[in-house]
Amino acid sequence: MKNIGTVGALIYTVISVLGAGLFLLGTLAGEYTLVERIGGTGWVFLLSMIILMPIVTPLVKRKVKA
Amino acid sequence: MADKKDVKRASLSISIGGMTCASCAANVEKALKGVPGVSEAVVNLSTEKAMVQYNPAAAALAAMKKAVDDIGYEVVLSTANLNVTGMTCASCVEHVQKAVTDLSGVTKAVVNLATSSAKIEYEPSITPLSEIRRAIKDIGYEATERTEGQEALDREQQARQREVRRQLINLIISGTLGMLVMIGMLQPYWFFSSFVPALLNNKVVLFFLTTPVVFGPGRQFFINSWNGLKRGLTDMNLLYATGIGAAYAIAVVNTFWPDAGFGGKEATFYEAAALLTAFIILGRYLEAVTRGRTSQAIRRLMKLQPKRARVLRDGQEIEIPAEEVQIDDLLSVRPGEVIAVDGVVEEGYSSVDQSMITGESIPVEKKTGDEVIGGTINKTGAFKFRATTRVGKDTALAQIIKLVEDAQTTKAPIQKIADRVAGHFILGVHILALATFLFWFFVGFSQWFTPESTLVLTPYHLTAVGAFGFALLISVTVLVISCPCALGLATPSAIMAGSGKGAEYGILFKGADAMEGTARLDAIIFDKTGTLTRGEPSVTDVLSMKDFSEDEVLRLAAVAEKNSEHPLGEAIVRGARECGLEPEDATSFNAIPGHGVEARLNGRGILLGNRRLMAERKVTFDGLLSQAERLETEGKTTMFVAVNGKPAGIVAVADTLKETSARAVAELHRLGLKVAMITGDNRRTAEAIAKQVGIDRVLAEVLPEDKASEMKKLQAEGLKVAMVGDGINDAPALAQADVGIAIGSGTDVAKETGHVILVKDDLMDVVAALQISRQTLRLIKQNLFWAFGYNTLAIPIGMGVLYPFIAQVVSPELAALLMATSSLSVTLNTLRMRGFVPAIRRQHYKGSSKHLQVPAVQTAG
Repeated sequence: MKNIGTVGALIYTVISVLGAGLFLLGTLAGEYTLVERIGGTGWVFLLSMIILMPIVTPLVKRKVKA
Repeated sequence: MADKKDVKRASLSISIGGMTCASCAANVEKALKGVPGVSEAVVNLSTEKAMVQYNPAAAALAAMKKAVDDIGYEVVLSTANLNVTGMTCASCVEHVQKAVTDLSGVTKAVVNLATSSAKIEYEPSITPLSEIRRAIKDIGYEATERTEGQEALDREQQARQREVRRQLINLIISGTLGMLVMIGMLQPYWFFSSFVPALLNNKVVLFFLTTPVVFGPGRQFFINSWNGLKRGLTDMNLLYATGIGAAYAIAVVNTFWPDAGFGGKEATFYEAAALLTAFIILGRYLEAVTRGRTSQAIRRLMKLQPKRARVLRDGQEIEIPAEEVQIDDLLSVRPGEVIAVDGVVEEGYSSVDQSMITGESIPVEKKTGDEVIGGTINKTGAFKFRATTRVGKDTALAQIIKLVEDAQTTKAPIQKIADRVAGHFILGVHILALATFLFWFFVGFSQWFTPESTLVLTPYHLTAVGAFGFALLISVTVLVISCPCALGLATPSAIMAGSGKGAEYGILFKGADAMEGTARLDAIIFDKTGTLTRGEPSVTDVLSMKDFSEDEVLRLAAVAEKNSEHPLGEAIVRGARECGLEPEDATSFNAIPGHGVEARLNGRGILLGNRRLMAERKVTFDGLLSQAERLETEGKTTMFVAVNGKPAGIVAVADTLKETSARAVAELHRLGLKVAMITGDNRRTAEAIAKQVGIDRVLAEVLPEDKASEMKKLQAEGLKVAMVGDGINDAPALAQADVGIAIGSGTDVAKETGHVILVKDDLMDVVAALQISRQTLRLIKQNLFWAFGYNTLAIPIGMGVLYPFIAQVVSPELAALLMATSSLSVTLNTLRMRGFVPAIRRQHYKGSSKHLQVPAVQTAG
């Protein structure tokens, strides 16, 4: 069970980091302050985690059970 | 045997119901072995148990149950009723349901937000109840075993009061500090600077005022959302936590690191964090208070349960707890006392107020031999009664409470759509919040932002806010303004209020589906005998020849039939007695099989029988024949009376319509329903009755066993059909109908077939049931419309769709207020059911005196 949790956490964290990274890359195209870039990246990361946690965790559980 | 998580194989013993022979056992074995992950299954027919070897990771109990159910047998599982406290919205329901059904030994869980309850079907050998409770506790809710009766009421009330008290304390803290923070924030604006000290606008002071709100009353949102997130669950708490947390974090950064670039000291959102918390808690507090009121009907029923009983033992009257009354105990009741249990009057006479059980407005007279119902109130006289069959949990009141409680834990079909939406709501809102943030950060801010922008209903400008601060503000507003609570409460709260209202009138809906089904009916079929009619023949007409009075004809007929056991003869004797004519004993009596009887009284020969008998004895009724034919056309049975070979008169006997039948049918027509009658009678008689009662469709000459197939034919026409019957020989038809309505069940409600049980034998209750269910469905639709409508309107506004046109955005605290108002409005709308009186009841009471003067319409048996 613990393994399932870790695998799930790894998946949604990696995806969230990638999403936040994409956001950061996007900000480079505009004229944003560093704080805006970092604040925005943090917020995107947080929301991505919140969105992905309830999606990924059951998916991993189902996959492992199957 | 419990499953062992570290071992691949586990064994399990499950009870199987419905097996009758060895081949049944073999079938069950085969079905179980067919479930993926089951390696071995051995079924013992005598113990009705199946021993299953399985891999817990691959085979679930639900799959085994389905496999057994599919071949027509039953896996017998335990059922637990739990009180679940701490649920506030539809997502909470989803979470509890998911947490419980994820357990390997649970096959089904029905969680109800309105009743704060969960009904769980589980196998204790795999998952003990303690594990289920722990799973619920782990995600942030409290689960306690649901008790029955007064104890349940007390515990439920205590839990609710605790919750109300807790939220009230939170509200006082967050409200007081929140107001101070708001005044402090407004200090430089309008007239506030004239009386509010500038110190209150100091950001550090505001920090010290806001921090206790966020980490005191607001703490519950962070803890609950974290508990959920750990298990991959999102709920309303997460929306609040993200909103409050973001507003607070920005405010802190801008207070202590004003140059960090988040908008500086002028862009702190302390009032947003504090008032957001206060408004959310206000919503929770009001909901906790009002939600308790939607269940008032069931509470009222529970309160009726008497605590003490006065029992006569060894000639002594002793007072004992009501639940200790035994069958065959003799109990005494004084005026004004509550009757402790169900029973039969043995001595004394009184009138009893049964309104709380049957909905009857007038007290019912009770004499020796009459049934009394536990929980009803003795009005005038004192009497003694014996507890004959039902005490403790079997009393009518206990059965009614259980039936209503069970109904309130079920889900109406209309709820499915709300459940589906609510289940994905939080996730959807977070996705929208992210999309909104990205849009305003990358596109919206540079396109439309002006430094003159304001927050709706606030004076200050968003001059110092940058792209991040602005996009974050709108993103947080989206999180806070959305409201799945209203969606979650819309249906169950209305069902709860509706089923409670039904119970007030002696109308018991067995489930939410029965209530919705009743509201959607197109047609109602009445069984004739015992439902539309009284079910026993009685004298309807007496006609006399010139030399005889009507009373004399009836009296002479009663003399001839005095010793008869024929239903028609009994009806004549009863009819004479009802008219105050006590029939004397005949000096001689002779039955003429198939024709009638002859008797002698005081030297006079009385002949009573059919037309053929009179013809044989050459008695002619020329003057009355046309009237006799008319009566027969109306479906009545005519009996001719002759005295000393001369015609005396005619007595007509028929099964009479109940007082309210014709009016109930007329009301049902008025409500737009098709009304039909089903009977085993010949078509002529059936049509005569149907004409009198106002029914236009007659299904005649139908044997009891064919009633269900007649029902199917009507359903095949696309009609939603209800069957109203007394349940005696209608069980298959009641079961086949979309809604089976069992009428006049009296006190033994638990045994009744049918989806709706009418305690009283009054057809007006069919109309009342329809009106209550329609009103409930109307409430549900209004609630759902409001819940969906609010979110459809509020979320886009929160997302800032109006900003390019009005340069104003909704502040998070206003969003919180709107959200709280939305969920509260659903509860308040449902509370309107408390004052609802079915139209038929209002008319019935108003016109009751007039109504009683109308003679009963008469029909044939």
